[in-house]
Amino acid sequence: MSYRWDFGPVVANAPLLLQGLENTLKVTAVALACGLALGLGFALLRLSPRRWLSWPAGFVIEVFRTTPPLVQLFWFFFALPLIAGIEMTPFLAAAVTFSIQSSAFFAEVFRGGIVSIERGQWEAAYAIGMSRRQTLNRIVLPQAVKRMIPAFLERASELMKTTTLVATIAYADLLFEANDIAQKTFRPLETFTVAALIYFVVITAFSLIARAMERRLAVSGESTVH
Amino acid sequence: MKWDFASVFSNSDALLAGLIGTVRIFAICLVLGMSLGLVVGLGRYARARWLNWPSTAFVEFFRNTPVLVQILWFYFALPILAPFEISPLAAAALGISLNSAAFSAEIYRGGIQSIERGQWDGARAIGMGYGQAMRRIILPQAIKRMLPALTNRAIEIFKMSTLASAVAYVELLQQGKLIASLNYNPIEAYTTVAVIFFLLLWPMVQLTYVMERRLRRDE
Repeated sequence: MSYRWDFGPVVANAPLLLQGLENTLKVTAVALACGLALGLGFALLRLSPRRWLSWPAGFVIEVFRTTPPLVQLFWFFFALPLIAGIEMTPFLAAAVTFSIQSSAFFAEVFRGGIVSIERGQWEAAYAIGMSRRQTLNRIVLPQAVKRMIPAFLERASELMKTTTLVATIAYADLLFEANDIAQKTFRPLETFTVAALIYFVVITAFSLIARAMERRLAVSGESTVH
Repeated sequence: MKWDFASVFSNSDALLAGLIGTVRIFAICLVLGMSLGLVVGLGRYARARWLNWPSTAFVEFFRNTPVLVQILWFYFALPILAPFEISPLAAAALGISLNSAAFSAEIYRGGIQSIERGQWDGARAIGMGYGQAMRRIILPQAIKRMLPALTNRAIEIFKMSTLASAVAYVELLQQGKLIASLNYNPIEAYTTVAVIFFLLLWPMVQLTYVMERRLRRDE
């Protein structure tokens, strides 16, 4: 092959790539934080004995788990602003979409974790006079969350990969910047290769940390849920 | 505001073309991803270093990079190295298939590992070689345990097929985009696309729930 690789133009644009990486991490962090909080809410609603609470929560979870994330993103970016009459920026659309989308997955993780705690824990708490909320906060969740950590970490790295979709609505994430640089410098091979490597390094580092945490949990003798 | 779905349904030809495109890329990636996944999964399970090491590298690389990056790499970067044109379908199918192969490889490996040692010993005792034992004894039992996870993968592939729109391959979302821009009706167009995906995927998701429950009951 006679093609001559030249990473010079990519290196010259490194600040743009770093800026893109920062934006990727920003949208991931926002969606992760909101998704976790919202996910716990959805899980509690879904576990509620009241049908009018559990049924709609279940429906929202199913819809966001079942439809493709890119369709959701386009809907929030192009359709929602017209319905709600609001201004929509690419960042806001991405943050809202991925928060709700990941909350649907987190909700199932929370639910699995809460359900995995034995009935006896609830009964013992009730027996010493705790309310449902007290039992949940002080007895069930602290035990459940520990079992859920591996599943959370796995979702978090899924989330970072999913955020690349924001490049399609022109949010300046790592992939968008790479595409931009590739077009400006006519060096798509080098640019996309470097972008893929950056993602690989960041996501691999993340999953190594996740695996180490999992191992520590396994050592402490806790079973985990997925 | 008034919802007007008539402007979407008058373009049902375009939606149908999109649906066909979605099903086509789904079918290609399902077959390629699952079969390549089996090969890589067997490589991961193998003890020989020259099989195990490349399979592991493949799995790690494709699991730890985003699919959209892979698709754009195949579309924009590969043609520079390869002496041939790469169509949007080929680029998207390559990205999604390789990614799915990496994920399903881990499912195959987990399934094969879950089969008890005694099954291997039994097969060997009646004179079967590695290939025969794998094909006739181990895989048929393992597949049963892997089925829910593999069906989940199929659902993921279906959802990932929308990423092909990023390289302008004609599939459902791409057609929704087209209809929205021609008729200025993004609300109706994207809602319709979302509903179609939901209606297609919902039965598959329910199927995985049923399979998971049955598996748990059986074991």
